[in-house]
Amino acid sequence: MNVQVDHHDKVLVAKVEGRVDSSNSQDFERQLQGAIGEDVQAVVVDLGQLAYISSAGLRVVLLVAKTLGQRNVSISLCALSDPVQSVFEISGFNRIIQIYDTQADALAAAG
Amino acid sequence: MAVQVGDRDRPDYKILVVDDEPDLERLVRQRMRRHIRRGKYGFEFAGNGVEALEVLTEKKDIDIVLSDINMPKMDGLTLLQQIPEVNTDLRSVIVSAYGDMENIRTAMNRGAFDFVTKPIDFTDLEVTIERTLRHLDEWRAALASRDKLVAIQNELDVATKIQQSILPDKFPHVDGCEVYGCMHAARNVGGDFFDVINLDAGRIGLAVADVSDKGVPAALFMMSSRTLLKGAAVGVEDPGAVLREVNDLLNETNDAAMFVTVFYGVYDPSTRLLTFSNGGHNPPLVVHPDGSSEELELTGGLALGAIPGFEYGQASVRLSPGDLVVFFTDGVTEAINVSNEEFGLESLQGLFGDGRTPTAREAAEMILQAVQDFAGEAPQFDDLTCMTLRIADE
Repeated sequence: MNVQVDHHDKVLVAKVEGRVDSSNSQDFERQLQGAIGEDVQAVVVDLGQLAYISSAGLRVVLLVAKTLGQRNVSISLCALSDPVQSVFEISGFNRIIQIYDTQADALAAAG
Repeated sequence: MAVQVGDRDRPDYKILVVDDEPDLERLVRQRMRRHIRRGKYGFEFAGNGVEALEVLTEKKDIDIVLSDINMPKMDGLTLLQQIPEVNTDLRSVIVSAYGDMENIRTAMNRGAFDFVTKPIDFTDLEVTIERTLRHLDEWRAALASRDKLVAIQNELDVATKIQQSILPDKFPHVDGCEVYGCMHAARNVGGDFFDVINLDAGRIGLAVADVSDKGVPAALFMMSSRTLLKGAAVGVEDPGAVLREVNDLLNETNDAAMFVTVFYGVYDPSTRLLTFSNGGHNPPLVVHPDGSSEELELTGGLALGAIPGFEYGQASVRLSPGDLVVFFTDGVTEAINVSNEEFGLESLQGLFGDGRTPTAREAAEMILQAVQDFAGEAPQFDDLTCMTLRIADE
């Protein structure tokens, strides 16, 4: 698992690669939370290279979304692979977190 | 005004020098004065083994004993044997005559960490002390992480016990159907639970759930989820309303953003109607006597604990004689084998062929066995939970 960070003006793009499960979810949380600076206005999490996410990983996404919500910072996800999309649909998280097909769509909506 | 950094009375490391040569104390203080001034080393002195043991008994924070061999009252080799009685967290360095291999060998056999030779070369002594201290630091760090591991192990054992203690082991005897459930807990995970709740008018509440994390916090979250669910199930008719109530209660105190996926259904044997609401859980499978099967629909739900005020939908399905409903957690379908392949839904569906539908118990045990056979030597990362509802044959 690896998180790569890019800045597009005040929008932070975090690209997650590999697998997120209970063995590395704490690391995932540290990397993601650590990447989000004070001046960020929106966060786009690109899951295009994410092969698998377990419920422990979903918890981190929810935690970050809640934290950002309290600061009025928007968060969206994009480019989910079919298996990852299915995890979000079954858990219902697609109903509470905005999901876009592509990073460009997510950036357009965030900018 | 100068600011005092650290505790000037407590050097980083304390060294006990044991020698019957009275001039040595002056020499050590003089040659090591830089380290003493900087607060790196502190020195204690003893004239023989007996005095050394007295110092070690009184002062438990000695890191290194630097001892001569030939001394009155108690020599250095005897001292080495006695040290573990009073302190097991220090290292000994022996000072021996040059070429005295026999004594050096004996000293090493008695637990000395290193030796220096007489006359003492202070540069060599410093190097030896540094090496010994480095070793001691690593040893202490390893001990600390071992203690931490033991603590984590205890915590996870507690979690497993909490988890096991709440699972039903007796299942209701109801005309027209049978229910069975079992779980293989992954080592030290406290995530899954299932429950069978006797409701009024012969109806049965069936729940299977998976908490998002592991360890004691997850086990406690599971505990309250299960209790709240049971309470709501007895008091509220509709499965959707049950999940809504549990979700709101779980959201009252949930800073860790934990959540639990719950499938909750109510089966009425008199109508063979299963009414259910799915709170973000993987959908159960309905297996027909001919071996065909389909997943129960998602009801537009959301994992419980995620956000308050969520409205949970529900749906109903009328089951037929001989049908089998398999409720499970994703530990079943996402189990991986040594080649990193998932067991998957197709394999689960493939277990049922044309012919006699197994009993509730046979089906649940067959499924968990099949998953374990598939996983083989691959470690089990997630709990395997399977609950079955078997409608009686006509």
